[in-house]
Amino acid sequence: MPAGIDAEALPGTAPRGWARRFGAVPEFARRHPLGAAGAAVVLAMALVAAIATLIAPYDPLATDYSAIMTPPGTTHWLGTDAYGRDVLSRIIYGSRTALTVGFVCAIVGATLGAIIGVTSAYFGGTADLLIERLMDVFLSFPLIILALAVVAVLGNGVGNVVLAITVPMVPRCARVIRSSALAIRRTPYVDAARAAGFGHARIILRHMLPNVMAPYLIMATAFMGQAILLEASLSFLGLGVAEPTAAWGLMLKGAAVDFAETAPWLALFPGLAISLAVFAFNLFGDSLRDALDPKLRTP
Amino acid sequence: MARYVVKRLLLMIPTLLGVAVLVFLLMRVLPGDIVELRFAGESSFASKAQLALERQRLGFDKPLWRQFLAWVGGIVRFDFGRSMWTGAPISHEIALRFQLSLEVAVLATAIAVLLAIPLGILAAVRQDSWVDYAVRIFSIAGLAVPSFWLGIVVILGLLVVFRWLPPIEFTPIYVNPWRNLAQLVWPALAVGYRYSAVSTRMMRSAMLEVLREDYIRTARAKGLWQRLVLSRHAVKNALLPVFTVVGLEFAFLLGGLVVTEQVFNLNGLGLLFVESIAHRDYTLIQTLVMLVAVVTVFTNFAVDLIYAWLDPRIRYA
Repeated sequence: MPAGIDAEALPGTAPRGWARRFGAVPEFARRHPLGAAGAAVVLAMALVAAIATLIAPYDPLATDYSAIMTPPGTTHWLGTDAYGRDVLSRIIYGSRTALTVGFVCAIVGATLGAIIGVTSAYFGGTADLLIERLMDVFLSFPLIILALAVVAVLGNGVGNVVLAITVPMVPRCARVIRSSALAIRRTPYVDAARAAGFGHARIILRHMLPNVMAPYLIMATAFMGQAILLEASLSFLGLGVAEPTAAWGLMLKGAAVDFAETAPWLALFPGLAISLAVFAFNLFGDSLRDALDPKLRTP
Repeated sequence: MARYVVKRLLLMIPTLLGVAVLVFLLMRVLPGDIVELRFAGESSFASKAQLALERQRLGFDKPLWRQFLAWVGGIVRFDFGRSMWTGAPISHEIALRFQLSLEVAVLATAIAVLLAIPLGILAAVRQDSWVDYAVRIFSIAGLAVPSFWLGIVVILGLLVVFRWLPPIEFTPIYVNPWRNLAQLVWPALAVGYRYSAVSTRMMRSAMLEVLREDYIRTARAKGLWQRLVLSRHAVKNALLPVFTVVGLEFAFLLGGLVVTEQVFNLNGLGLLFVESIAHRDYTLIQTLVMLVAVVTVFTNFAVDLIYAWLDPRIRYA
């Protein structure tokens, strides 16, 4: 190679550093335009949530009794609720609650599920049988009772809602990851790690877990949308985050239903926000699954 | 096969026992009990002795393990006891509400299957065409729209467009089928959309998989019409996983739709769940949870069995 020619400028050389890591992004966008659109919406929502203080026209908690249930117009773009609070501002701030719950639940739930699933497959035998039965118990237990119990004992804050939503996700993920892990537990590299005398924890975390990354990522993205939906349902029942926090499910509760005929904007816009958010997550999750492991079926 | 059936049936015992222990303990962890709630509800001042007497009547003074054994012993003999709140037999409390939840579940299943199978086939056959994209967007949206919100929108639409609201009081279908359907078809639609979305996606992905199988290529190679290849060879095989999804969703719907029932003012199992928890009606909640768990466990089992029966490649040892 003549001196002075930059190796990276040559065609066909492998990109380095960040270029290699994010080189897959344009490829993903070209092959999965729907998924890329979903990802774009998710990113836009994350941005809105991050700069909510700058873009929200009003304080989401500020009540204005002179402007109760104002229809959408120039001063309040999406109208006001029964306390005179600005609906648009509450939706903007509500994205913080939704995204926090979505990300935290999905990542904690999928990670715990993955660890349990891999452990169960790695040890096999009695341990596997016991863990599987325990997962069965949680899978056949009605979610709403679990949520009610958590909220009744611990009270309703965002942390407890996250707990109530995460618990049912763990066994679902464990089930899927276990079947992937069963396929790799007899592979030469796991045998080699065992022969090298590594401890169980190290083999599980360092050797097996990275090799079930594809189903893990797929489950985690699928959970994000589901967690947002669950949070909305729980809030609607009064079991989620408590007033006056801005949360989409909470905005649909009470007045929104009672005055649906006279003030339809109260019922329509928060529901649209939930639907758009979950829709975007699902679009992205679906394409991610197609790209990583098309055989895996997610709900 | 017989060994497999017996093994699966035996494995249900620890699962159901685990659910029983979990719900029993969860109820005892909840703050407050039914005695407190009932006497606090009336403005009269009840003495400590009266409260103790009432607790004794309900058996709260006995050690926990004896209360648990008494309850589980009743369940296995199909004696569910009486509701602590109303005093009526639990089987009686559940019967009519179960009928309502069952009907909504059946209607929603019908809507879902009727939508999912044709849409799923169409999307798979025309993969990556605009039809496929439209079906996929329609079904992903079905997963994204909260059923309870769709319910609110449906009611609002009926009210604004037709100036009409579904009847509030439940009429059994054998009394007045028209009135009954007029009430239940709307919640079934709101729930059925999500349900159809799940099934459409499964139908599409199963069809795509089947269409790449050797036997489909053989069928095409011997010159069969596309229509015959699809109906005789592909759809039959692709229906299997769809069947699983339908079974599991159906079991889930039978457990009552807590939020959707709230929106439509339906007095089904979902509402009973919420009420009995609010009342700390231990016996009623415990029985309801066991009912849901039994339905789920048996549906799983039935789906696996029928699966093995329909697909000769699956043989359980």
